[in-house]
Parts: sequence; structure tokens; C-alpha cells
Amino acid sequence: MTDYFEIHERDGAARIGELRLADPLTTPALADDVVTDAGSLWPEDREVPDGDESTLTVLPHRGLPAGTPDEVEDAFAVEYPDVDCPSAAVVSPETATGHGTDAYVLSNATGYAGHAAAFVDAMLSVREATPADTALYLPGVATPANVATLVYAGADLVDTDRAVLRGTKGFYLATDGEYFLEDLDELPCACPACQQPRDEFDREDCAEHNQRALAAELARVRRRIRDGSLRDYIEGQARHDQWLTATFRRLDQQYGYLEQRTPIVRRGEITAATDDTIRRVEIQRFAERVTTQYRSRFSNPLVLVPCSAKKPYSESQSHGQYHDVIQWRAHVASMTSPIGVVPQELECTYPAQHYDSVVTGEWTATEIEFVSDVLEAYLQRNDYPKVVAHVPPEGYREIVERATADLDVDPVFTVDDHPTTSESLSNLAAELEGELTYPKREREHNTIRAIADYQFGEGAGDDLFDEIQTESRYPKLRVTDADGEQLAAMVPEYGVLSLTLAGGRRWAESDAPVKRVEIDGFVPHGSVLAPGVVDASDSIRPGDEVVIEGPAAFGVGRASMNGPEMVESTRGIASQVRHVEER
Amino acid sequence: MSKPSPDVYEQGKGMDAHNKAMREIRSRKDETYDPREPTRVWIDEDNTPDGVYQSLTIILNTGGCRWARAGGCTMCGYVAESVEGGSVAHEDLMAQIDVCLDHEQENAKDPSGLIKIYTSGSFLDEREVPAETRRAIAETFADRDRIVVESLPDFVDREKIEDFTAHDLETDIAVGLETATDRVRRDCVNKYFEFSEFERAAADARDAGAGIKAYLLMKPPFLSEPDAIEDMKRSVRKCAAVEGCHTVSMNPTNVQRHTMVEDLFHDGGYRPPWLWSVVEVLKSTADGEDVIVVSDPVGHGSDRGAHNCGECDDRVQKAIKDFDLRQDPSVFEQVSCDCERTWELVLERETGYNQPLVR
Repeated sequence: MTDYFEIHERDGAARIGELRLADPLTTPALADDVVTDAGSLWPEDREVPDGDESTLTVLPHRGLPAGTPDEVEDAFAVEYPDVDCPSAAVVSPETATGHGTDAYVLSNATGYAGHAAAFVDAMLSVREATPADTALYLPGVATPANVATLVYAGADLVDTDRAVLRGTKGFYLATDGEYFLEDLDELPCACPACQQPRDEFDREDCAEHNQRALAAELARVRRRIRDGSLRDYIEGQARHDQWLTATFRRLDQQYGYLEQRTPIVRRGEITAATDDTIRRVEIQRFAERVTTQYRSRFSNPLVLVPCSAKKPYSESQSHGQYHDVIQWRAHVASMTSPIGVVPQELECTYPAQHYDSVVTGEWTATEIEFVSDVLEAYLQRNDYPKVVAHVPPEGYREIVERATADLDVDPVFTVDDHPTTSESLSNLAAELEGELTYPKREREHNTIRAIADYQFGEGAGDDLFDEIQTESRYPKLRVTDADGEQLAAMVPEYGVLSLTLAGGRRWAESDAPVKRVEIDGFVPHGSVLAPGVVDASDSIRPGDEVVIEGPAAFGVGRASMNGPEMVESTRGIASQVRHVEER
Repeated sequence: MSKPSPDVYEQGKGMDAHNKAMREIRSRKDETYDPREPTRVWIDEDNTPDGVYQSLTIILNTGGCRWARAGGCTMCGYVAESVEGGSVAHEDLMAQIDVCLDHEQENAKDPSGLIKIYTSGSFLDEREVPAETRRAIAETFADRDRIVVESLPDFVDREKIEDFTAHDLETDIAVGLETATDRVRRDCVNKYFEFSEFERAAADARDAGAGIKAYLLMKPPFLSEPDAIEDMKRSVRKCAAVEGCHTVSMNPTNVQRHTMVEDLFHDGGYRPPWLWSVVEVLKSTADGEDVIVVSDPVGHGSDRGAHNCGECDDRVQKAIKDFDLRQDPSVFEQVSCDCERTWELVLERETGYNQPLVR
């Protein structure tokens, strides 16, 4: 039972939380002033302290340093008592399990920091084994350079121990690593400790600076979590140290851990500045859903076009020119790094209009491989009578050729120099000669169904929105049933559907996989709190549309946490409620 | 439990686990040794109740420690230095003694007044050193002043000791007590006897006219630096209070091959104690305790031995050796270093769950 910790915001495995002490502490934070150690059980037996609400008491523990044999860890496992005060249990990756405390201390984290494989293993083991709504404290390891990655991996509490001790040993710490103090002829910092003549700046000052640099970096990390942009920061900052880069890459390889915690939509824009961006959850998830859930419902030819800087693409000048030629006579998909392939129906869907990449005209080998793999999978899944590749020769052409090399698809290339030249455009027009225009109704209905496939699962578009009408103007489409009752609305900012009660009911009764939050016998207003959740689908991700069902109520809303977290948590908002009715 | 023995004490969850782990760790070693060569022999100077002596230290290669075969102590790699097969014949042991006497002749002008014999086990365990050999060795050194033999307390009894005292040798039994805290000895060191057994052995030794030299282990695995210092201060005081225990040799843990400590060290879970910590214990116990306290940090200054920052290690080690001979804490006023501040902060900040805070 977590009484003294609550998570308010999430960004992947990183969270903004609140340690609810007498003086509440917003996490991720320095734990120095709020932790009280009740002592190690190795040298002596300890009284269980009474504790109080001003401090997080680390219950009497046995530290199990890295390298402790498994059987020794098991044999010396500690039974943690139930206490009323804010408390933390010390756990090792091998023996971690829930102990009913508010926080968990990763035993002897100093043994893992610096080794990406061991660190990622340790974090995943402990995070998976302890309740989602508890804080994780990594003692003795934080520095200004590594704390962003520690938090990105799932740490909520750290301390100044390492920063201070490095200072006393003459190491000047910064977000880009550490310097020998004696090598610095000027101090690259504006903190108060550094505002003195260089020759008077000693190791004590250095320790002070290190602490301040760590505190400042934590503030930045908190801001980044709130903005949903910690990953973008990590991709740049972690490069200063090999083990940090290795850590976030190894976390990418633990896709399940990050995917479960990564929201379906974000406000912020993805900075696509490195090949690592391709491996982040949002990009991989979009590619996976487009190539396994989405299906084109158009019978017209496919025209592949390059992406545009302006989003959504259809509002760009270049896409306007393509459209003037195509005139709804072809299905349009944009090729882009790092997203892959964006069919026209999903051009608003996160992250298709929420990224900006570095444009030089040169493609990296990784980009070429990724986009061609996605395109190949896309073309395997969707049959077109004809594929027109209206893309520039550089990069794009190679990608299309690679993607179709093993397929029974013979793309027609219509661009020799640039896709917007009149020659290119007239080539395109020639290839579409005689094709029929599909009506607006088909276009809009297919857009709704495509988003449903993407958002709810393969086939959901047909299961939920077979017989519909659409109203209002794209991209703010409203979906009604044959009788005119509204089922859903398209949210133009994120390209997803938000359901009405009628839409939710239709979903709940459909064959499509339902993301369901089962609640106790109450009628939620505004939000469902975690303690009220009886069960929740594993597939729910933060930001997902969910159906909320209980003996007393039926509703629809948007998930604030993932499904397993809803079930495990005893605090926090599980889901927002958009519409609810008593039953 | 009236008569502690390795077999009786190999019980309990923690000890089972430690032994199982240690057997596995030791099995990684496959070297063997010549039974006619001692493990090590060297000449040094030692402080005794009768003053400072030239000493001949012998590490006999016996069949190895019986307890170590069951798994044994978490920090002890010496078992691996014993011969394959387990036991060494009388003739071979005496051949080892001859090698040591030759070494002494070659390296010292005069015969050493003090003879110290260790076995990485128990010299008084007749499975390691048969009674015949023990008597022959006593005979060999009958003309010296003092002799120290190492033994676990279970094997200490009056008759065996009298083999030495009969020759008018001032005899000391060196007991690897490790710590006076039973819990630390059991759970961190994985040694099976209790402090009360040490007290009994001391009483028996006294009855036989011998003394006791207690060997303490500073910072076994799992203890933080401040907890380790506290454990040593408490242990020195408790040893001093045992009648017949006239000397305490407090030695920092070093990282030996094929031990649990080495596994922890390898994975970043163990740092040998600071030399400043050794100094701290020696200083704090120098006054008021009626006992000689010495320390011999093995491998000082290296990652695997007690160390400070790398700059001051030799100076601090020298002060410790100086203290060993003079028992005067003022020797430590001569040494200081920037890294003392780091060490102080480690004492403030290190806990069971964050150690080691620095390497």
C-alpha cells in the first residue's frame, strides 16, 4: 500500500512524483535531506523505528552489493515490517519484491552505475518486481552527467553522495562529464560556488559546485518530463559518456519496458537529430501499427511522395502541388525519416505531424534501411493496382527499389530531378490518366476507419465504423451512426478518435480488442482513481482511449497510466473520464 | 552446543548459503602445490609483551583448513594454497620446516627469537598437523624465545600447548577471531564459532601457560566503512577484556583470489577499508586498553588491499608499522592528506545500502 508517494506525470519510464512527507517533495529529486537510515542488519539487530511523516525511513536492511551470490541473497533476505510512517525497503535486483513500502532502494546501486548492461538489468528487475506507484531510490550514484539517464531509466530519488565525494577528490562535474579541477584554468559555470577567483576555488568549493550542478540538472530533467521531451534531451546529452549512451540504447532493446510506459500521444515535438531517434518507442510503434494494424481501403493506385517540413503534410506547398495533379485519384503515402511511411489518413496521427528532422538531403544507412523495411512491409500488406513513386532520386529512389526488390510490385518513377518541377508533375499526371476520383465520403470514412485500426487494433475500423456518416470539416471530423447519433470525433491535434458514450458502447460490444478499465461500484466524475480500479487491460497505454465499466457506471475516457499500473497502484489518477452514465 | 565444531555449525540458512557459494567459488581454482615447500616464509620484526623481536614467519602448507573445505570464510583464499588431496605427511611437513630454516640462515644474521607458524587453517588440528609433527616442530624451535601457532579455538587444548611450553618457549596461540561480534563473524565472515568459544580457548591457553593473540578482520564484506570501524573498536575492547589475550592484530580485509570478497570486488560491490580507518581504530584504542594492538595491512595502497588515495598510502602504512612497534598514537600526527576529507565524508555518508561510495 503506497501512502506517501504519488505519480503525477509520466514520460516513458520517467515520472514526476510527489513524496508526500510533511514537506512534500517533487520527484525526481535529491533524497539527502528526506531519508533516514534505520541501519544495516549485517552488524546488529535493529529496532524498527517509529519514524514520522517528515522523513522517509529506510527500514532496517541488509545491503546486497553487486556480486553477491544468489543463494546468499536469498538466505539473508529481510522481512520488512508494516509501518505507518513513510518507509523504504532495500532490494536487490535478484530478490526484489513488493514489501508494502512507499519507496524502494536499489541496494548498492554503485555496483551497477557505469555498466550499461548490468544497470539496465537491475533497473528492469526492480521496476518490474515492485509496485508501479512506488518511488525508486538509487543511492550513491548520481552526477550531473548521468542523472538524466538514471531518471530516464526509472529512478525517482537520487542523492549528492557521489557528486560531493568526487568534488573532494578534485573532480569538477558537469552535464558533459567530469574534469580534473587542476586542469581548469577557468570555471565553466555561473553557480555561486564558482563566483570566486580560480586560485581560491578549492575542493570544498568543487564539492559545492558539483551539488549545485546536480540540483540544476535535476530541475531540467523535471521540466523535460513535464514537457514529454526527456528522450530528446537524452539523445543529445547522454552522448558525452559511453555508458550512458549504451544505457539508453540497451533500454531501446528492452522495447516492452519502455513501450508500456510511453504515451500514445504527446503535445511536444520529436527532435529527430540522430539515428537513435528511429529506435524510440513512438517511431517504432507508429511503424509497427501502420504495417500490422492499418490497412488501406482504397482501390486506387498508390502515389508515394516525399514528406514536407510543414505538418500535416497536406497543408504544405509541395503537397498542395501534388494534390492539384492527383485530385483524389490515388491513395497518397508520404515517405519520411524517421517515421517511415505515413498513409494520408494518418497524416495527423501522432507522431506524424509532431516531429522535425535534420534535413541535409543525405540519408544515413540506418534511415535507408529503416524506411525501406517499413515500406516493404507496407506494400506486402496492401495491394495496389499500381505504385507510382513520385520521389526525388536521392535516397528515396534507393529506398523504393530496396523495398520492392523482393516484391511483385513494379514501381513507376516519375521524378528525374525534383518532384515539384512541371516535368515531374506532368509525369505524375500521365501515370494517373484515366483513374477515377474517389468521393469525399469514402475519403472521410476511410480516414476514420484507418485511425480506428491504428488506435484500437487490426480490423477495428470495420468492427466499429462499418455503417457511419461523417460531419464537419476534415480534420475535425465528427462520426455518427446511421441514425445521426454521434459516436466519435477526430482530434485534429493528435489524429486520434475520442469516443462518445454511444461509441464506447459500440466498442465494448464489438469484436475489436477493447481497452477496458473495470471499476468498483461507483460512478466516477472527472477521473477514476487507481484504488477504484478492479482490473484493466494489459494493452492500455497512457493516453489511450478506454472504456470504463463497473456495476454502477459505464463511461469513456483517456487513460493516464498503463493498464498494469492501474491494477497495481493504490494512488493516483488511473484515467480521465470524458462521459459517464449510471447503469 | 557444548563443543563447537565445523560439522555441528554448518547449519542454518545463511551458513548453508555462504558455504555453497564458497564451494562453487573455490572450485574455480585448479592449481596444486608441492607438499615439500612451505606456502610462504619471511623475516620481519614483531612487537610482543617482551618487546620487539626479529621474527621468522612460516606459512606451512598443510592439508588446508577443514572449515574451508566445507565452504569456509568469505574472504579467505588461503585454502586454495594448500595441497591437493588434503593431507601432508609428517616427512613432508618437516621438509617444509627445513626450507624455512635454510631461508632464515640465508636472510638473517642471527636466529629469530620469535617463530610464528600459520597454516591457513589450524596448526593444532591433528588432521592438518599430526601430533608427531607438532612435537618435532616444538623440538626444532626449543632454543628460541617465543613461538606463535595459529589455530581455530576448537582445537585449542592444554595438552597440545604443553608440547611447546614444556620447552620453556613463551607460547602464543593465534586465533582468527575476526571480530568479537558474533553476528558479523557468522553472517559476514561465515566463521562458525562464537566469542564464548574464544574465551574458553583463552582460558585453556592460560592454564597451559600460554597467551592468546587475537586476529581481527577489518571490514568483512557487506559492512559499510563506518560500521566496520565501529565493529573493530568494539572488538578490540572486548578482546582486551579477555584474560590472557595480550595482543590484538587487527588486519584489513584484502581481496584474495577465489573468494566471495573477490566476486563482490569484481562486480563493484566491495572496497577494502581505508588506511585512515585502520589509523582511526588504532588511535582510538591506544589509550586505556591493556593490550598491544598492531596491524599489518597486506597489499596496502593497491585496489585489492587497504588503501587511501594512492598518494599517501606508503606514508600512512609506514606510520602504522611504526605504531605497531611503539604503540604511540602520536606517530599518526605526522601524516595527513587531502583524501582524509573524502574519507570523513564516507564515514558520514556510507551506509549498508550504498557502499562502496568510492573505490
